Amino acid sequence: MATSTESLPPPGWDREGLDGLLNAFPEGRLSEIVGPRSSGGGSLLLALLARAASRGGLVALVDGADAFDPETAARAGLDLRALLWVRCGGRLPPAWSAADLLARCPGFAAVALDLGTAGSAAPPSFGVRLQRAAAGNPAVVVVRAPRHVTGSAAALVVSVRRVRACWIGAPRRIRLGGLVSEARVLRSRFDPRLATPGRAWLIEWRT
Amino acid sequence: MTRIACLFIPGDDERIKPALLEIALRHSPSVEDGGPGIVYLDLGGLERLWGGEEEIARRLHRAARELDAAARIGIAGSRAGARFAARAGGDVTIVPPGLDARQLGLAPLALLGLGPEMAARLGRWGIRTLGELADLPVSGLAERLGNEGPRLQRLARGEDATPLRLWTPPPVFEESADCSWGVETLEPLGDLVAGLAEMLCARLRRHELSADTFEWTCRLADRTTHQGDCAPAAPLADSAAAAALLRASLEARPPRAAVEAITLRARPVRVGNVQPRFDEPPRPSPRLLTAALARLSVLVGARGIGSPVILDTHRPDAVRMTPFLLPSPQPSPQRGEGARNPSKENRNPLPHRGRGQGEGAILAVRRMRPPRSVEVILAAGAPAHLRAAGLAGRIIAGAGPWRVSGEWWTEAPFVQDEWDVELDDGTLCRLVRDGRGWRLEAVYD
Repeated sequence: MATSTESLPPPGWDREGLDGLLNAFPEGRLSEIVGPRSSGGGSLLLALLARAASRGGLVALVDGADAFDPETAARAGLDLRALLWVRCGGRLPPAWSAADLLARCPGFAAVALDLGTAGSAAPPSFGVRLQRAAAGNPAVVVVRAPRHVTGSAAALVVSVRRVRACWIGAPRRIRLGGLVSEARVLRSRFDPRLATPGRAWLIEWRT
Repeated sequence: MTRIACLFIPGDDERIKPALLEIALRHSPSVEDGGPGIVYLDLGGLERLWGGEEEIARRLHRAARELDAAARIGIAGSRAGARFAARAGGDVTIVPPGLDARQLGLAPLALLGLGPEMAARLGRWGIRTLGELADLPVSGLAERLGNEGPRLQRLARGEDATPLRLWTPPPVFEESADCSWGVETLEPLGDLVAGLAEMLCARLRRHELSADTFEWTCRLADRTTHQGDCAPAAPLADSAAAAALLRASLEARPPRAAVEAITLRARPVRVGNVQPRFDEPPRPSPRLLTAALARLSVLVGARGIGSPVILDTHRPDAVRMTPFLLPSPQPSPQRGEGARNPSKENRNPLPHRGRGQGEGAILAVRRMRPPRSVEVILAAGAPAHLRAAGLAGRIIAGAGPWRVSGEWWTEAPFVQDEWDVELDDGTLCRLVRDGRGWRLEAVYD
């Protein structure tokens, strides 16, 4: 059966979709999602947590900016009772310590640190400490930040950028329908093929 | 000769049952909880202590009346006899020794608490009262009903040789320390609490129990009290974890003055020893998780840790925090049953309630807490420019307004108009306008 060529993504864009990208996040290693606000980085982090929880695991989110929205998370499939939400009220030093503490507590399927979209300088040894904490623990440890903060410690670095916003209604826009973002793996110590220049994932996030 | 008293409260009020048991235990060391509204006492050897049976019955009746309970007392040679006397008689009914069978003769069969099958079978034989059952030939009963027949017949005659199943009051897990010199700093107070926690946990372990809540009450030097409690993520009886949790809780909410006395209580729960299933993902150990949560509560405050619960309202950002609890492990399926084809519930140890719908790739919302005030310039009634702390730009696309309102029947109704807008730098955000002006409620990310 012929496939409409218009439904195919542009050349170089990965067709595995979101699952293929989520599978790239290694257990027992530090990963990082980098991207400015409204790039889809927060949505990628949410999808990662939801998938870990859907497999019966417990997940922890250290919310540096106190910006997590449980309603959206529930819609994304995250069982809220499997989530340990640590609200840091915009104070980042406790957030770094809390992430380090949880990464050392075995038994969580995923530990995420959301540094918000404003960004802030991390302590110099922060990335190495977190990587060492993650190493003894079969959990996916992820940092979401507007820019690269973990230095060379992260085994996987995913960069996310906004492609376009999707609006419902034409010519008069009625509602925001979603966001299309592009994710690229900048570094992957486990599967260097993921970081091939030109390889990217096109993800459409719906509201 | 065995003499049993039955304390009977019509109406099956379970709330006063513990008080009834306490009353019974004040009069006799041998007490049985006989089910809803019924308490049995063994009166053997109590005459010299309390006087005759009439005096004991009067005392029991008077004590129950102080609870506003219309109690009836029956005394007989067996439980069945005493129960029938209490149910059928007046406030106090005493069956003389040796006359249980005659007293029970007219009592209905239901007094024996028969199962439906046995009751139906005896009913088919035309047996309606205990007396009729007592008059049947033993050999014929044994032939038709097995051992159960003679046993029921003995009960119908008031012959009940089974000893009372003794009731003992539940142990109170409480430890206290008096420090008349006054503990002014947290470190020695933490050591004091750790010592109490160690004693409590040792007692809990002896009873094969765990604690799901610890409560403390401090008597302070300024003649006030300081109370608090903390709940571990999973019931525990580990003294080190309990001490760490209590230290962190006291550190987060220290007493206002020097502590002169402290009482620590544990709420005991029995935790079944269930082996985790092989297909279950690993869980944090309760000891490590409790210690981690205790340290987290020092870092960010106890209120900032937990699992979110979405409230049943349309009010934006209506969320409540609940303590983070470890889900209890599910028992493994029986051999051959569900092992080959486990059900969906068995595969996931977390119950379905509260789980999200899982609509797939959902655009995340980053909430501003509280919503940030912004300056908005309108053009043709729609937002055209936006300026806020750390965020400014021209609005290149937008949709709205959408009105959100509710709870008009309360003292705090809400109504606001929402816009989704896209700035020229690509930022997607949600603006709201209400009586206080424009605010930035969330940023899509």
